[in-house]
Amino acid sequence: MDLENNQAGHKLLKEYNYDLGAIDKGYTDRTLYINVGNHEIKEKPVTPLMKDKFIGGKGFGLYYLWQAVTESTKWNDPENEIIISSGPIGGITQYPGSGKSLVVTLSPLTNMPIDSNAGGYFGPFLKFVGFDALELQGKADKDVIIFIDGKKGTITLEEAAPGGNLDTHILGEQLTEKYAENEEDKRNIAVISTGTAAEHTNIGLLNFTFYDVRRKGIRLKQAGRGGIGTVFRDKHIKAVVIKCPGVKGNLNHPVDQLTLNKTGIKLHKEIHDLDNSQNRMRKIGTANIIEVMDQYDLLPTHNYKFGAHKDTFKISSDVFISKVTQNSPDGCWHGCSMACAKAADQFELKTGPYKGQKVTIDGPEYENAAGLGSNCGIFDPDAILELNFYCDTYGIDTISYATLTAFVMECYENGILNKERTGGLELTFGNTEASFELIHQMSKGVGFGKIAGMGIRKMKAFFAKEYGADPQFLFDIGMEQKGLEFSEYLPKESLAQQGGYGLTNKGPQHDEAWLIFMDMVNNQIPTFEDKAEALHYYPMFRTWFGLNGLCKLPWNDIAPADNKLTDEPAKIPEHVQNYVDIYNAVTGNAIDKYELIRQSERVYNFQRIFNIRMGYGKRVHDKLPYRAMGPVTVEEYESRHERYDKQLNELLNYDTTGKSTAEKIKVMRAYRESQYEKLTDAVYKRRGWTMDGVPTVERLRDLGMDLPELLEVVNKHV
Amino acid sequence: MKLLTKNESLCIGCGECEEVCSKTYFKETNREKSCIQVEDKKITVCNQCGECMDICSVAAISRDKYGVVRINKKVCVGCFMCVGFCPELAMKMQGDLLEPFKCIACGQCAKICPTHAIYSSEEA
Amino acid sequence: MIKLNNRDCEWQEELTVQELLKLKTYTYPRIIVYINSKIISPEDYASTIIQDGDEVKAIHLMAGG
Repeated sequence: MDLENNQAGHKLLKEYNYDLGAIDKGYTDRTLYINVGNHEIKEKPVTPLMKDKFIGGKGFGLYYLWQAVTESTKWNDPENEIIISSGPIGGITQYPGSGKSLVVTLSPLTNMPIDSNAGGYFGPFLKFVGFDALELQGKADKDVIIFIDGKKGTITLEEAAPGGNLDTHILGEQLTEKYAENEEDKRNIAVISTGTAAEHTNIGLLNFTFYDVRRKGIRLKQAGRGGIGTVFRDKHIKAVVIKCPGVKGNLNHPVDQLTLNKTGIKLHKEIHDLDNSQNRMRKIGTANIIEVMDQYDLLPTHNYKFGAHKDTFKISSDVFISKVTQNSPDGCWHGCSMACAKAADQFELKTGPYKGQKVTIDGPEYENAAGLGSNCGIFDPDAILELNFYCDTYGIDTISYATLTAFVMECYENGILNKERTGGLELTFGNTEASFELIHQMSKGVGFGKIAGMGIRKMKAFFAKEYGADPQFLFDIGMEQKGLEFSEYLPKESLAQQGGYGLTNKGPQHDEAWLIFMDMVNNQIPTFEDKAEALHYYPMFRTWFGLNGLCKLPWNDIAPADNKLTDEPAKIPEHVQNYVDIYNAVTGNAIDKYELIRQSERVYNFQRIFNIRMGYGKRVHDKLPYRAMGPVTVEEYESRHERYDKQLNELLNYDTTGKSTAEKIKVMRAYRESQYEKLTDAVYKRRGWTMDGVPTVERLRDLGMDLPELLEVVNKHV
Repeated sequence: MKLLTKNESLCIGCGECEEVCSKTYFKETNREKSCIQVEDKKITVCNQCGECMDICSVAAISRDKYGVVRINKKVCVGCFMCVGFCPELAMKMQGDLLEPFKCIACGQCAKICPTHAIYSSEEA
Repeated sequence: MIKLNNRDCEWQEELTVQELLKLKTYTYPRIIVYINSKIISPEDYASTIIQDGDEVKAIHLMAGG
């Protein structure tokens, strides 16, 4: 155990005392600003405009970031900010999934705003100790630790003692120990930290801890996407620690506590009665769908080439159920009976600097199993768990790590990379040792790990320049868009999901839409207009969770028994009403399910315009790599040739007899690319945007978002 | 282990048990604040099964030295997962109270029941 | 010939709902089955026979999070 971090002798740079204040109807009405460069600490009021148009969470994050940066700000300029906020509903204890924090910054991968959500206790604690959001700006000379003491009403900025461990499974535990008064108090501490790999890659994440009173140790949730951890380390922030004096069910001072209690109990009962026969979230979390995706030919395999593999049974949900501890109340905030944050306990690490340690591994979530596993051709469940662990403690995004490793593996198998270029790493699909070596290199900032850690976008440019690789092939197989790596679903055969990934604000993350089954299997959205409607409703509905500090899993990973009898079962109407009810119960507002969508539309359009302001956000940026749309290679086409031949025959009246695979690929490609263009047209129209993807003044006016700074940007582009 | 045991066939629905319980613990006559509830002679009351103990994320529920399942109200965060998960629906929420409440087998209702439909007993 | 999720699908005599789900490898637990807009209960999958020309829907309530 590293003792250096436990010294009392960190150098105090600044101390700030504040009145703890009160929370009313979900808001403290103030936010906290800390500049780690010039040590400025101040409080800012939450204005009526902020609450009215931005609500909270990522709305507040985007609002503050807009003001902090200019069009030319880069992610590693001191002006870039990291903003953390929960939202008005955040911190209630009754309704499952009410503890999310939303984090916003300019991403090193995309150069435009990224928003990422994380579980754990920080966001609610931040509100309970007095602040609706935390802004972190500036750059420190040496590593700093920020401590927000909500018991005393003191904020301190300390220079961290030199040396010491950065990796979260150690640092998070040490800081929890250091700032808690005793064992009982540890549950009142939450830490944000990252890890060594965040310093050497663009894919750094933020870990958010919470203290598990039964395991007597910290648990980790992540704000994974977009490289926020890289920004954190660039600012030389080592950790942010918060102490909250205690949690009760009414700290938000809601208008109608009884409705919160009743609605929460209703969901708890629903989960108790039905989870076992639905998704088994309490047993295995999101990993319940691994074998399902394989069965429907949708499990990303070998860099999204295929949708299934004969060895998937080795990493099925039942295998992981036996590795994670059962009957543990594994919610990542109080009152989450969905309890999907499973963990493997007493897992002995086989590789790396912590080899031999017995650790708790938070996971695997579906993304980790599909990404670190099948997408890389790896079917060893223990390897997946260990890669999951190292991504977390080293502070890098499992999704970006997995997708870029899959890309690298395909490049290796195509001769673009070789042992000489990778410094000896034989990065072929299924080579588990090579993946481990790669991740340990990222932690140390050496070897090929440094190159891979740039992310797919920069690797494509690098491989084309340094190795003369065919840029078109790299573009086709490199599964990134807008600079962000794709998450672990196969959009290739679902036009709606291509839109669900491609027509997003932040990049191809399934935060906004998950339409694969609705489209491909259920065939419920056959026309362009149907798809456009789904690509309007679902992104807007799902955005709302990020305004309020909520997790979206309890929305549709459990459904009431009579859901199938409703008009639109896919929307889970009773749950939509639950959210309307709890929002009104906390805030005293009287929204309905339509106003809920408009709240999201305001922030969604704001984010689009922010992207445009930063030089992106237009139609050209919504294009997809062809691997996301159809078969790039002969191998891919022939693995599904019956299906593809049939489509060419039926949809295009194209006679496939006697045609070479290369020819058929070309015809298929032209067709699919034109389909995507038509989809883009329909979606932009539905969203009230121009055909170049710019929100129109009419739409902004209709939403009450015709703010001068927004009009200034859109008017330049119409 | 102490617990309250029921024999529903003897219940006459007089409501005396509910009144004495809510008066004892909440100083008011209010069925909603009684740990025992009777509806159409169906008696709902905790049988000390202890399933709620594993449900609680803050480990606020445990057995005392008599085997009775007790809530540590100081530690409780008022999430009511125990209410939703109770197999007997005997863990209760009432809107004035931040924490749930349940029968602790004190026996007051058993003493007052005219027909011996409920009675205190010992279980191993 | 029947319609399954609005697509043409092969039919055979004595085809039950259970058989059809098996043939299509529709193994996901959260499926709602309709025949000609009428919901079929899971208990009845094995005994419900699909007629030629029926419109069958097998709607998967698949989330992904």
